[in-house]
Amino acid sequence: MQIKFELVTYNEELDSFELDETIYQVEIDEDEEETYNLLKDSDLHLYNWLKESDFFTKYIKEEVYPDSENKKIAISDINGISFRRFYFFKVTSGDSHYEYFKKLYNIHEESDWQDREDVGEEILQHLSTKRQELILNLG
Amino acid sequence: MDHKYIAKMLSKMDEDLSKQGMSRRDAMKMAGITSVGMFMGGVTSASADDENKTVKSNAKGKIVIVGGGLAGMSTAARLTLNLSNPDITVIEPEELSVSYQPGQTLVGGGIWDESDIAYKRDDFTPDGVKVIKEKAILFNPQENKLTTDKGTVVSYDYLILATGLHLDFERIRGLEEAGRAMSAGDNERLLKGLGDDGICSIYTAKGATKTWEQMQKYIAQAKSGKKTQFLFTHPNTPVKCGGAPKKIMYLTNARLKEAGARENADLTFYPNGGAMFGVPEYHDAILGQFKREDFKWHYRHNLIEVDKEKKIAVFDAKWQEKGPWDPVLKDFEVIPKHEKVRVPYDFLHITPPQLAPREIAESDLGSSKGWVPVNKETLQHIRYENVFSLGDVAQVPMGKTGGSARKQYKVVVNNLIALMNGKALEAKYAGYTVCPLITDIGTVMLAEFDWTVKPTPSFPLDPTVERWMWWLMKIYLLKPMTVYGMLSGRA
Repeated sequence: MQIKFELVTYNEELDSFELDETIYQVEIDEDEEETYNLLKDSDLHLYNWLKESDFFTKYIKEEVYPDSENKKIAISDINGISFRRFYFFKVTSGDSHYEYFKKLYNIHEESDWQDREDVGEEILQHLSTKRQELILNLG
Repeated sequence: MDHKYIAKMLSKMDEDLSKQGMSRRDAMKMAGITSVGMFMGGVTSASADDENKTVKSNAKGKIVIVGGGLAGMSTAARLTLNLSNPDITVIEPEELSVSYQPGQTLVGGGIWDESDIAYKRDDFTPDGVKVIKEKAILFNPQENKLTTDKGTVVSYDYLILATGLHLDFERIRGLEEAGRAMSAGDNERLLKGLGDDGICSIYTAKGATKTWEQMQKYIAQAKSGKKTQFLFTHPNTPVKCGGAPKKIMYLTNARLKEAGARENADLTFYPNGGAMFGVPEYHDAILGQFKREDFKWHYRHNLIEVDKEKKIAVFDAKWQEKGPWDPVLKDFEVIPKHEKVRVPYDFLHITPPQLAPREIAESDLGSSKGWVPVNKETLQHIRYENVFSLGDVAQVPMGKTGGSARKQYKVVVNNLIALMNGKALEAKYAGYTVCPLITDIGTVMLAEFDWTVKPTPSFPLDPTVERWMWWLMKIYLLKPMTVYGMLSGRA
């Protein structure tokens, strides 16, 4: 089985992400396929598994960015599952992104229609920490 | 109320239950309820017994509770029951601090008098608890000290913040003179600021009496044949008792029907939110009631200004429009829009914006939003481990009701004593709250829910049905349970 994925590169000075427009793919064995199938419905678990898998980091270091020292990247898409909202979230992001993060970070306001700016700011505070966990330092 | 009347009511309660195929006793039994005190929290008989066991701890330390309202005084009472040598000080300047706030809706609807809900702090101060009748205004949590408005410096080992919240009328343009208020007190400035020309609010005890006066005046106007506009608001901040803005609307409707004046009145609800209730099941039920009663409503309207002279309420109305396609996020952006909407009124019931008191918000104990940031389960401050908070001022979702406080104060007491003994904090608040939503004189829908945002009924009955028995509970049982049960630290 193959996993298709896309990446973003992290600019530490600007604290911003940029899309790497290439779609990469890597072959996985049966064991890894079993793991993939178990985790594919749980986006962050899937992300962490791939980020921490030797076959994945080896592929990135050898095939994708072989000459980049101290490069920091993150995964933006895995087989169509998007993680882009973690890097490009903004106040005008679609409702589905708000709902996703409100659920993820257990954000509850007593007023049922949220002030987008307030909620957006709270999401961005959470994301400033979360993004650091998602970044893969290629060393 | 006499014993014959009560007997008649109870008989009707039995009648109501028998339609469900059960006796009163069976209903209580099935719900695991042992006494009226259990109505407000859905506690099972087993856990109620556990809760009432008082094995006193020898833990020592000076405990200061800022705020002697329902949450603070109940906490003080329960601590005295659970500590062998309690050293507890409550700081509370307001004489009527333990007044029964959930009854303000009933005062506003002319069912109770203000005297029915007025209770004095000094009558409910537990034996051995010291009271400083001053207001805490400066907090120094680094040195475990605070200072009152009269300059008294109070040190503590453990601090419990139960100050309640401020009703921020001054945020509404045109009502700046009304200032900020708390529920109890003479609130002379507030009443003067609101005037006598149709503006009212049940969010203070005095204001509730004024609401009933104004309500009668405009019901009489409708009865005279003049079309009369009744407006009810719900702000864009957290509020205590989220059901109250609707309860007073239902009671106004009931009084209009009673007077035979309903056809000359328009009742319109202007909530800041986009739903009637955060729990979908209750939202659907309330929407059905609104349609049945021919109410009007406009979502996402926040009251920002009142022109008292012209009798116009100005709302900030919000909506969203589809923005451009975002190729990176692969979704359309959402653009928030808003505009001012001017609405003429005859009777305007205001649910004011509500905030943490300034002295908390501006101290190191407050969060960026002002409320006291606590672990929502243990109720321990997120930065100062010897500080706990509960009630309206605690930054806990859905926590601003008497029903929530009733659950929270036991958690605070258990966890504080655990901390004093160097043990882990094991008691957890699960987010339970209850809103007995008055839908008419004689019917209440008992909306119980928690952080799952699902109905969590204590009784084996459909929680979305309005019932006479819940009305009886609201009118006759909850107040004694709160005033005598909770304030003694037992219920």
